[in-house]
Amino acid sequence: MSTASPVGEPSGTAGTFPLQLDIDSDTLASCVACGMCLPHCPTYRVTGEESASPRGRIALMRDVAERGEADEAFVEFMDACIQCRGCETACPAGVRYGHMMEVTREALASQTGYQPRLRRLAYRALGMPRLLGFGSRLLGLSQRLGLMRLIGLLGRARPFRQLGAMTASLPRVPVRQSPLIASGDDVWLFTGCVMDAWMRDTHRAVQAVIESTGAGVALPPPRASCCGSLHLHAGLASDTRRLARKVMAALPGEAPILIDSAGCGATMKEYGHLLGTEEARRFAERVQDVHEWLAERVDNLPSAAPGANGSAPLQIAVQDPCHLRHVQQAHLPVRAVLSRYFDVVELDDDGLCCGAGGAYSQQHPEVAGAVRERKVAAIERTGANVVASANPGCTLHLRAVGLDVRHPLEIVAEHLSAREA
Amino acid sequence: MPVGYGRVVASEIEGAADAALLADLRGVLGDRARDNDFERGLYSRDGSIEGSSPAIVCLPTSAADVAQIVRICRQHRRPFLARGSGTGLAGGAVPVGRPVVVATSKMDRIIEVDIANRIAWVEPGVLNLDLSRALSPLGFHFAPDPSSQQVCSIGGNIANNSGGPHCLAYGVTTAHVAALEVVLPSGEITVFGGVDAEPPGFDLRGLFVGSEGTMGIATKAAVRLTPNAPTVRTLLLDFDDVSEGSAAVSAIIAAGLVPSALEMMDQRAIEIVEAFAHAGYPTGAAAVLLVELDGLGGGVEAGVEIVREVAERHHAGHVRVAADDAERALLWKGRKNAFGAVARIKPDYYLHDTVVPRSRLTEVLEKVYRIADAYDLIAVNVFHAGDGNLHPILAFDRREPGVDERVKAAGRDIVAASIEAGGVLSGEHGIGLEKRDYMGMLFSTHDMYTQDLVRETFDPDGLANPLKIIPTGSRCSDSFHQHVPEGAWV
Amino acid sequence: MNRRSSGGSEPQWEGASTGSPDAGASLAANIAAEVTAFAHEVGSCDPVTVVGAQAHWDVGGTPLAGTREVRAPAGVWEHEPSEMTVRCGAGTTVADLSAHLAQTGQMVPLDPADDAATVGGVLACGFSGHRRLRYGHVRDLVLQTRHVDASGKVVTAGGPTVKNVSGYDLARLLVGSLGTLGLLAEVILRTLPVPAASQWLTGDGDPFAAFDLLYRPSSILWNGSHAWILLEGDPADVAAEASKLEPAGFAPCDGPPPIPAVGRESMRPSDLRALAGTGGEWLAEVGIGLVHRHEAVQAAPVAPANALLMDQLKQRLDPDNRLNPGRRPW
Ligand SMILES: Cc1cc2nc3c(=O)[nH]c(=O)nc-3n(C[C@H](O)[C@H](O)[C@H](O)COP(=O)(O)OP(=O)(O)OC[C@H]3O[C@@H](n4cnc5c(N)ncnc54)[C@H](O)[C@@H]3O)c2cc1C
Ligand code: SF4
Ligand code: SF4
Repeated sequence: MSTASPVGEPSGTAGTFPLQLDIDSDTLASCVACGMCLPHCPTYRVTGEESASPRGRIALMRDVAERGEADEAFVEFMDACIQCRGCETACPAGVRYGHMMEVTREALASQTGYQPRLRRLAYRALGMPRLLGFGSRLLGLSQRLGLMRLIGLLGRARPFRQLGAMTASLPRVPVRQSPLIASGDDVWLFTGCVMDAWMRDTHRAVQAVIESTGAGVALPPPRASCCGSLHLHAGLASDTRRLARKVMAALPGEAPILIDSAGCGATMKEYGHLLGTEEARRFAERVQDVHEWLAERVDNLPSAAPGANGSAPLQIAVQDPCHLRHVQQAHLPVRAVLSRYFDVVELDDDGLCCGAGGAYSQQHPEVAGAVRERKVAAIERTGANVVASANPGCTLHLRAVGLDVRHPLEIVAEHLSAREA
Repeated sequence: MPVGYGRVVASEIEGAADAALLADLRGVLGDRARDNDFERGLYSRDGSIEGSSPAIVCLPTSAADVAQIVRICRQHRRPFLARGSGTGLAGGAVPVGRPVVVATSKMDRIIEVDIANRIAWVEPGVLNLDLSRALSPLGFHFAPDPSSQQVCSIGGNIANNSGGPHCLAYGVTTAHVAALEVVLPSGEITVFGGVDAEPPGFDLRGLFVGSEGTMGIATKAAVRLTPNAPTVRTLLLDFDDVSEGSAAVSAIIAAGLVPSALEMMDQRAIEIVEAFAHAGYPTGAAAVLLVELDGLGGGVEAGVEIVREVAERHHAGHVRVAADDAERALLWKGRKNAFGAVARIKPDYYLHDTVVPRSRLTEVLEKVYRIADAYDLIAVNVFHAGDGNLHPILAFDRREPGVDERVKAAGRDIVAASIEAGGVLSGEHGIGLEKRDYMGMLFSTHDMYTQDLVRETFDPDGLANPLKIIPTGSRCSDSFHQHVPEGAWV
Repeated sequence: MNRRSSGGSEPQWEGASTGSPDAGASLAANIAAEVTAFAHEVGSCDPVTVVGAQAHWDVGGTPLAGTREVRAPAGVWEHEPSEMTVRCGAGTTVADLSAHLAQTGQMVPLDPADDAATVGGVLACGFSGHRRLRYGHVRDLVLQTRHVDASGKVVTAGGPTVKNVSGYDLARLLVGSLGTLGLLAEVILRTLPVPAASQWLTGDGDPFAAFDLLYRPSSILWNGSHAWILLEGDPADVAAEASKLEPAGFAPCDGPPPIPAVGRESMRPSDLRALAGTGGEWLAEVGIGLVHRHEAVQAAPVAPANALLMDQLKQRLDPDNRLNPGRRPW
């Protein structure tokens, strides 16, 4: 039953403040309120509330754009959107919801004190690899030393609430990781921030699979750390632009830039738009999800190992990260690669979001949890034993409930190395 | 699309009454009773072009909640109004008379699937397609499949007696509802109909289905399960001429075939649908027919041959047979998203729904184009041709001054043309607010008086979704003290 | 006055529907005249009942003594095969209707036990035939009704097209109301193509398993030891489905024994199984839940809230209780 409430009764409906939403009227008018997007919206699915639906959010934006003022309730309704953009692929009218929401978030962040300080600080850290690396090691240690419980307790006190919620759902973070080693210059493998700090083994696997096609992999220096995707979703577009310039400087040349995290890929493909320069546009054209690149070269991949002592092939359920399916529309290549080796089974939920949504699962744990329950149920219905997910956020979010979730190329890499052995 | 729809500022007197009502509702629902301006605005309209704000929005999670809400409304003599997914196209879910909206969207459990009796008990907020998806591994589905099926609720389907492409062969919703748990306008909970073969007494179930929420609120339904057909063939026929297309429709039926679906799209519809779905619809054609045959293999293959013959006789350009499920799904995806896709031409649409005898399709279609031209509007046609159910869509931009009047006048002319051709007011969307005042085109005053007597039996105080279906003035009873507020026709 | 058209001698203007507009207009005028004459006959004051073939005369009780008897108009008035609809007087016998439709390979599967029954009688009782499993409840075959109400006025409900949701569904309310809310004068029904092939099979196999095995059989009748299964459709399909039944012990036959016509016991389809081994002569419709018996059956009680609504409906629509007094559908 959908009893979750995105925000409950909004707290302060009294105070209004001026807000300029810079969305043109054609875009605002483009929604005909047919509702076809509703079932594809995770927050509507688990709440059943119009205010948590794309149709409702667009109507609210229109209302605010029209009147030039908003209130706290509006902020909360907007904040409850996961920005998965499932609504956008479902919309027959071609409504550019993602764009509208980005403008709204940016307006909120720049014209009001929308982003809580703590959140801003956390995002800032993502752009600082050394700080992130240190913080992560600290986190890894404290997890082992049971300090997390302390943070959890602290988390009940108001100022720490968010920190508590964030840390509680984190995976066991590695304390020490061996570095990746470049092998050539045919393609760049973008390593990112959180992922490099916490899930470097995924990069290692991805690199191995790329190399198995005969290509050499170049690795960016540490300063190309964060793509700025989370900042963009939070409405901190200027931070994203700053980070984008750093990333672009660190990945020169003409070689394709391969991304193994759907969220990063979606944002980096948008750099042209975001920076508006010719250079950025050319850069964005080089960006590809690693599966897109591999799908064009499946024949160069090593062939499948003959069924290990006749056992049935591994059944893999594919969980499509929203930023791959709804934003990049690059979810089919994942299947092209996986099905060379495994029995791929589809979920029956039309690619509904899993609730991770970048930092969303930390900020709205109740809704994110309810959304995840639907995803888990869909996965269970397939009967598959392994879940492939091409995004670290989704992976962590789903692993937190005990599912065996791996990056598609980790599964492939494992298969390939077993085959060699 | 109205801008900032339905932010209504209550007068002070209303405000005080609303506050007392809200306090009582909160007592039952806690924060699931809402009165903030934003949310009242969000529940002020449905898929039609009308709107008017409710006083309070309630989000019940159980039949007991609904019964309590109705009782509280009675105590306050306040109208109430059920709402499913708000996709209704006749204004059925548009609040009139500052009512309490009872949104069933949180009541979305499939309670029991009972294969032995071939029924499923569901809550009203279950989405139509969710039910069929859940049934699919068991080899069954829920037959009514409105184009909005991915989002519309079973409760809404029941209230509107909705149809869909496949109702040509399987019948509309009423044929697929065995029993209903209903909260009556008195606040009492009862069950109409039954899972047994012949429940005794008058068919209250049949009366409730299609009553658009004016006889109470359905809180549970036992719907019938239809076995999935072993063989399905989907064909796409294209024509250079709309009239050849409609003639082919009659010819297919006259040949003794009952296709499971027989849909038609005109050139504009084909273009916009193709732009969204990329299903390979022939954008150059004047019309296409989407024909689906299902059942056992022999009959289906024989049917395919008949359709091919008809296609040839009526000079169809091509006959494309969907090769597999994926191709079929793609063709249907296009068809089922056609209405929303109209927004690619203009941001607003007014979707009509009339039925004419199949033999008059060509003639009425021509009239529709002429009417649209006369009012300087764009008409797009995509409809259930097999049962003569026209869906002319008038695309427009609300921001153009004076366009509303033109749209409404054109709509009226289309309805009149359909009735003149021996047709009816609505095939599946219902009467609601939108066609209420057209009822007299089809029914005599005495017919409507009789209908209202029946309605009144269920709701003597006129609190359940008031002022829908029957035009004001059909009866002089005191239940008609409310009037449609100025501006309800936004 | 007897309006029943006996044995095919139908009104002169029958069939004029395909003629010129003038013919169409005069057809409409003639139908209207028939219906109006019936309304006059029903009048507005004394107790009345409609007599059909009296095939279901005792259902829900017999009319009180002294109740005046009237007959509904008869005749197949309009049948447009490509529209798949037929308009006829409620007093038309099912035999006449079927014979007329058969000329163009169509049917309305009303299937009463005795086809001397009138269309109006079948609908007033709301009794579906033995092929309900395939074709649905009789009420789903009704598109439009015209009835005469307690005040002697004609009321139209539903619409003439195959699909219609205009207004409250009074037509469905009338089906099964035993003429206690209004007297049917005219109906428009949906027609279906007569299936190309049709085959009964019988045997002592499990009818419930057979139901699960088959795709939309037309009828499965069961008497506790034997079952009769009707398959209809394309000849190849009927043959293929029949061959599925052979291993389960079913073989072709001419048809089921006569269906007991006195009692109709209504239960959930799944409850039928429990009838196995119970005595008496009965024939049950598997998948439907109906048991036909030679002896009368006590109807199930109606929930109090529903009984109240039904009483009030009757009260409002027939305040003087002049329509079929003595009959009560619950
Ligand atoms: C793009 C699009 C395509 C469509 N295609 C079709 C189509 O092919 N066929 C078709 O028939 N319709 C179609 N419709 C119309 C609409 O989807 C249907 O009428 C649908 O059944 C409405 O369901 P809903 O849940 O949205 O109901 P709502 O719009 O929320 O409500 C409709 C009516 O039902 C009442 N109601 C809702 N729930 C209950 C309840 N539990 N108890 C009592 N009353 C209740 C409301 O008061 C209202 O009068 C389409 C609409 C759209 C926008
Ligand atoms: S966003 Fe698109 S799908 Fe959703 S209601 Fe608006 S037009 Fe329809
Ligand atoms: S982006 Fe996702 S969460 Fe936000 S409205 Fe669209 S579907 Fe819903």
